[in-house]
Amino acid sequence: MSKNALATGLICLVAVLVTSVFFWLLTDLVIHGLPRLSGPFFVEASQNAGRSGGIGPIIVSTALILLVAIVTSAPLGLATAVLLSEFTRPGSLFGRLVRRSLDVLAGVPSIVFGLFGNAFFCIYLGLGFSILSGGLTLACMVLPLLIRTAEQGLQVAPNDYRLAAAALGMSRSAALTHLLLPAAMPALVAALLLAIGRAGAETAALVFTSGYVDRMPDSLLDSGRALSVHIYDLSMNVAGGDANASAAALVLIGLLLIINTIAMSLAKQWRIATP
Amino acid sequence: MKKWGLAAVLILMIGTAVFLLSKPADTKIDKLVLTGSSTIAPLAAEIGKRFESLHSNVRVDVQTGGSSRGVSDAKAGLADIGMASRALKDDEKDLHSFTIALDGISMILNRANAVAALDKQQITAIYTGKITNWKDVGGNDAPITVVNKAEGRSTLELFLHYFGLKNTDVKPHVIIGDNQQGIKTVAGNPDAIGYVSVGAAEYEASQGAAIKLLPLDGIVASVATVRDRSFPLSRPLNLLTRNGPTGLAKAFIEFATSPQVHDLIEAEYFVPVQH
Repeated sequence: MSKNALATGLICLVAVLVTSVFFWLLTDLVIHGLPRLSGPFFVEASQNAGRSGGIGPIIVSTALILLVAIVTSAPLGLATAVLLSEFTRPGSLFGRLVRRSLDVLAGVPSIVFGLFGNAFFCIYLGLGFSILSGGLTLACMVLPLLIRTAEQGLQVAPNDYRLAAAALGMSRSAALTHLLLPAAMPALVAALLLAIGRAGAETAALVFTSGYVDRMPDSLLDSGRALSVHIYDLSMNVAGGDANASAAALVLIGLLLIINTIAMSLAKQWRIATP
Repeated sequence: MKKWGLAAVLILMIGTAVFLLSKPADTKIDKLVLTGSSTIAPLAAEIGKRFESLHSNVRVDVQTGGSSRGVSDAKAGLADIGMASRALKDDEKDLHSFTIALDGISMILNRANAVAALDKQQITAIYTGKITNWKDVGGNDAPITVVNKAEGRSTLELFLHYFGLKNTDVKPHVIIGDNQQGIKTVAGNPDAIGYVSVGAAEYEASQGAAIKLLPLDGIVASVATVRDRSFPLSRPLNLLTRNGPTGLAKAFIEFATSPQVHDLIEAEYFVPVQH
């Protein structure tokens, strides 16, 4: 009995420790950043190297970079996941090869993706420092994560579905769109979420691709500073930028939380709509 | 629900495509790209904003990456103008350099410290761990806390070069990143010694931070002595071009070295140069 109580106590303690780290971090950000948060902060351009003014253009740039990354990586990622889970034999050489290279790619540090993106998209393809280069670099970076999570989601769908569909004479593509994809929808949304979270928090890969310019972008070929790059610059490079760095960090956390909540509720509704 | 989701995705993709293709083609925009030192980048971005406000149809894009990157990009022609927060080395003399501002580096002590001055030998001995108590250099009986800069900072390079030290000789107790952190560390510890940018230190001391600036070789550490170049430990902030600058680059360099940007230089705690 006392052993049980001890174990329960220890587990509770660990849980409290983990959550308290998060709340400590959040409290610190709120104390330093909240006084700077206001309506104009979200729309104004930054002034005096970011010490004053807002983060309007930076939010727009961040959203565009994320959009490019997701629009390009989601179809590719989903298609590859379907290929791996539905159209390759388990244990085949091709499947093993693809999975192994994806796992290696997932372990590559983000600064390496940044240097690759700079060399390939910015210089070789001539896109220059641009939102497009940054978004495409992030797309490369999140692809392994996206594919592996989506693939696991598809594999969780019971094999009975596939057998029943075949017995009823459904084509494989019909089984996929009507049965397997809806069943895997929560996992697919989770994969997308993880990808957005990873991309939104990225700094190193973006410094050399989407760049440092904090002007409002006119097109995807303009350089645009991402929120994480802005936070890094303010806290590490600009004397007196700490308060606005905390405020910008709060905004980033808020944005990611909102995306998270929306996607989760979407996943829930999809699941209810398709029995 | 499913249809709405699909519609939303479609609208997003079409919107992105329209945005991508909607780059205004009728107005010709001249773009000037600067890359290099992260120390200069915030200042260059502010100068760029003012330059843009005076010249319509001009965009100044500032990207970071460090002084070495500024040198190599200027050499390779990847940037119109490179930025380097140090003087050119001998094998880089084929580039043209234009000093826009000076930055001095000052030894700082806590204001409560009784020591009023240290000579070069004493500072060297303190940083190599040969003197470990303030009473050996005329202060109170208290152990010295040595604050050093992190590897890769050009301030560190300059400090080591001036005192003829190697970084492996230095026996630091605290390693810091940027100026603000150094000032906060020394202000919070009565027995600490550190070195930071003169302008930032002078500003913080005037704002009530508990630090004092030590004279070097008998010369007072201040913006004034850095300006008249009598202060021995200072570095130029340079703009670099491959050939003699022409056109837009020439106009920008002339603007950046003119008195019209002195207030911007001072706002970043650097010292304007009289040309």
